[in-house]
Amino acid sequence: MNTRSATAAILILPAGGYLAIFFGLPLLLAFLGGFGLFTRGAETGFTLDHYRTLFGTKSYRDGLWFSTYLAIVPTLVSLALSLPLAVALAQTHPGQKLFNMLYKVPLVVPGIVAAFIVMTMFDRGGLAARVLAPVGIDLPKLVRDQWAVGVIIATAWKAVPFMTLIIGGSLGAINRDILSAARTLGAGPLASFWHIQVPLALPGITAAFLLTFIGGMGAYAVPNLLGPVYPLPLSVHMYVNAFERNNWGLVSAMGTVLSLISIGVLLAYYRATRSMRQSYGGETR
Amino acid sequence: MSTLQLDGVAKTFGDTTALHKVSLHVADGEFVTLLGPSGCGKTTLMRIIAGITQPDCGTIRVGGHEIHMLPPEKRNIGLVFQSYALFPHMTVAANVGFGLKMRGIPRDVAEARVKAALDLVDLGALAGRHPRALSGGQQQRVALARAVVIEPDVLLFDEPLSNLDAKLRDQLRDDLKVLQRRLGITAIYVTHDQAEAMALADRILVMKDGRIVEEGAPVALYRAPRTRFAAEFLGQTNVLPVRLDGGQAVMPWGQRFGGVAARAGSHVSLRPEDIAMTADPAGAGEVCGVTFLGASVECRVVVGDVEVRVRDSGSGVAIPAIGTRVSLTARVAPHPLSEAAAPLTAALTA
Amino acid sequence: MTVVPGIARQRAPFMAADGRWISAGLALAFVVGLGLPLLVTVLWSLVDPKVGWFSPDVVPSSLALDHWKTALGNPSVLRALGLSVLIGAAVTVLTAVLALPTAYALAKLPFRMKRAVEVFVLAPLIVPGIIVAVGIGAMFFRLDLVYTIPGVILVQTVGTLPLMIRILTATIEAIPNDLIAAARTLGAGPVAVTRYVLIPLAWPGFIAGGLLTFVASFEEFEKTFIIGSPFVQTLPVILWTYLGGAGIIFPNAAVVTFILLVPMLVVFFLAGRVLRDDVLASGMGKL
Repeated sequence: MNTRSATAAILILPAGGYLAIFFGLPLLLAFLGGFGLFTRGAETGFTLDHYRTLFGTKSYRDGLWFSTYLAIVPTLVSLALSLPLAVALAQTHPGQKLFNMLYKVPLVVPGIVAAFIVMTMFDRGGLAARVLAPVGIDLPKLVRDQWAVGVIIATAWKAVPFMTLIIGGSLGAINRDILSAARTLGAGPLASFWHIQVPLALPGITAAFLLTFIGGMGAYAVPNLLGPVYPLPLSVHMYVNAFERNNWGLVSAMGTVLSLISIGVLLAYYRATRSMRQSYGGETR
Repeated sequence: MSTLQLDGVAKTFGDTTALHKVSLHVADGEFVTLLGPSGCGKTTLMRIIAGITQPDCGTIRVGGHEIHMLPPEKRNIGLVFQSYALFPHMTVAANVGFGLKMRGIPRDVAEARVKAALDLVDLGALAGRHPRALSGGQQQRVALARAVVIEPDVLLFDEPLSNLDAKLRDQLRDDLKVLQRRLGITAIYVTHDQAEAMALADRILVMKDGRIVEEGAPVALYRAPRTRFAAEFLGQTNVLPVRLDGGQAVMPWGQRFGGVAARAGSHVSLRPEDIAMTADPAGAGEVCGVTFLGASVECRVVVGDVEVRVRDSGSGVAIPAIGTRVSLTARVAPHPLSEAAAPLTAALTA
Repeated sequence: MTVVPGIARQRAPFMAADGRWISAGLALAFVVGLGLPLLVTVLWSLVDPKVGWFSPDVVPSSLALDHWKTALGNPSVLRALGLSVLIGAAVTVLTAVLALPTAYALAKLPFRMKRAVEVFVLAPLIVPGIIVAVGIGAMFFRLDLVYTIPGVILVQTVGTLPLMIRILTATIEAIPNDLIAAARTLGAGPVAVTRYVLIPLAWPGFIAGGLLTFVASFEEFEKTFIIGSPFVQTLPVILWTYLGGAGIIFPNAAVVTFILLVPMLVVFFLAGRVLRDDVLASGMGKL
């Protein structure tokens, strides 16, 4: 190993070693634990029982679907809101600086607070219901409902600023001349957006999508507070099985499945963007 | 007919006035250069013509039709950028065909036109590549093809050759001129390089501080500049104070010229290459600096209280030692200059 | 040709007015999406405990500061505030120290396993947080680190490292190599280069990353809850007990929300002047 690699290795050691011990190791143990190895409590020995239980129990299967639902839907909703927001914020308009600061506020607000806000506004007897009742509109159940609308609202409220920040950054990184060139060639604002800005900002858009998706996959607090009584997302089942039933093997199996889905989506992302990266290096200059 | 007419176009950015009510006229098929130092407003003017920047006031007419109210995508004006501005996510063919796609031209017709445009710039073989895989010169050719394929009324160039190295620049410059002649498109070319301006233009508009200071055909502008700024910006010149004696202009070394229409207190211009220098122990001048430039030799000669630059070309030119006494003879009469902007020709007066 | 008279200020029709529409739309969105929730939260915190705030009142009928007094006098709330700040600061420092050398290596040194390291550094963001927390929980249990402050600091750092590394890497990448080379030709060794060139020029990255890390730590719930609760309680954990525990106590939750939010918003607005969006976005915009 030459000096350059040695230097690099030494520099990476602090963070890399830290993550290896406090992240890699627990993950490895969790992976193994899913197969019955190295677990506390129950007998150790390779077994597929935990996975059988996971996929065999209806509430757990439904939990897995629900976790995926909570990953996809809020992310799509947030994307639909973030794209136009990012574009709007980029146009010159009065108050631009102020708005560019305001939209980031939810970033510093904890998820639990977002859940609290949704509770006070949209729950039965919440503010929205009280405001609309005199007008005669009866709001459907939005908190603890089958479709987890409350969860979607709270998650999207937090996710939109995050996505807007990243997408805004990607849009802003596009060389101004390229946009001017498109205009002189006959592309109006909409055509420019569709043919030039979106393709060139795609790496950022998909990165934002991915991170939000994964966040939704593992969300615990918000679904617990606002979600329906059944099905519970897998993350809640994990907690219950870990701290109330001490069934660490099952917990590990659940965690592994959730992780694999996330990694799968990441790999799909890499494959999809590979052609982009090869043809123009993912660069927008 | 694609003439271009600007009247009273002005632009201010905050405290700075980029353009002071500029007016100009370009004839159909003419190649005009906007020449000036950085900050003179030439790029701003060009972006206003393209529609990318909005003027504070003024009108723009192409072929007699007012276009200043139109957004850039409706103006049918091609623009070749200094940074090429090729779409990195599209192939060369897609880049060139983009303008046609925006105009709704059917695919087969567009394909044929794209191919023709690429052949015009000698890049037919690279149609399937991405810009990333091309050299700077090739990218600029693609940008050119992209701008001409839409058959614009006016073609604008924003210092397109600045990012290329010298040899490539000369090559592309010549190709550009040939192309423009062949297609007969009205062209406006922005540059700070006076050699480039002279090589390309039918007419040069010299700009300074947001105004057009002087304009004219390259030869007339170089050999008979009317303003001091233009004389000093195009090539090199000696700006000498006028000494009048009995209706004649007297050079520092004694040579006299009649019929020089200069007033006392103003200046005249005499180009270094128009002065002959011979070693002369009784000469009026003394060489104080010598620079060998390869094709020419440039000497700085002190005559009285004035320093004069003299240039001579050719392999046989003598390279004098510093301190040599020389005598100078101007081969042509010096040219009178005014400090103010020269009145523009009738067609341009606003 | 003379100038056509009467052409004064001209604005092409496709421009000017759009800006005002955008402002109006954004203003509406922010009033509904931000202003309203904040207002409602304020009102909840000011509810008179003797009267409450029930349907169909749109606005509480009676306001009082009772809940604020109770909360601010409650030692566990104040302790939670102190803990949140302490842990936040510790996590930020620890993360920055660990991240800098790695960021430098990723930004400036070519080496073969770079892609693998980049993905590994990113991994804690890819694996859902709850899994990391539960996994570490099992490990910390054996190490007796559960229910301890150091334990919480350690587990939070796992989540903050990826972001700090990415932001610092993007910032350091932007420092031209020529500057570092120039410093070295002028006699600066690695320590001097780090001190006089690297850190000052990477400062925007430190600010952005540091702020994000502090905020992430301050509002972090899942990992802290699993590792620390019930002995180590940060503000989010306290908030959880008011929302998800035995009963839902809105006024208490509202007060704690403000105790959580106000410092964050203050820091945020102060930082808004120093923070650069492009630094933030570049750290997170490419995977």
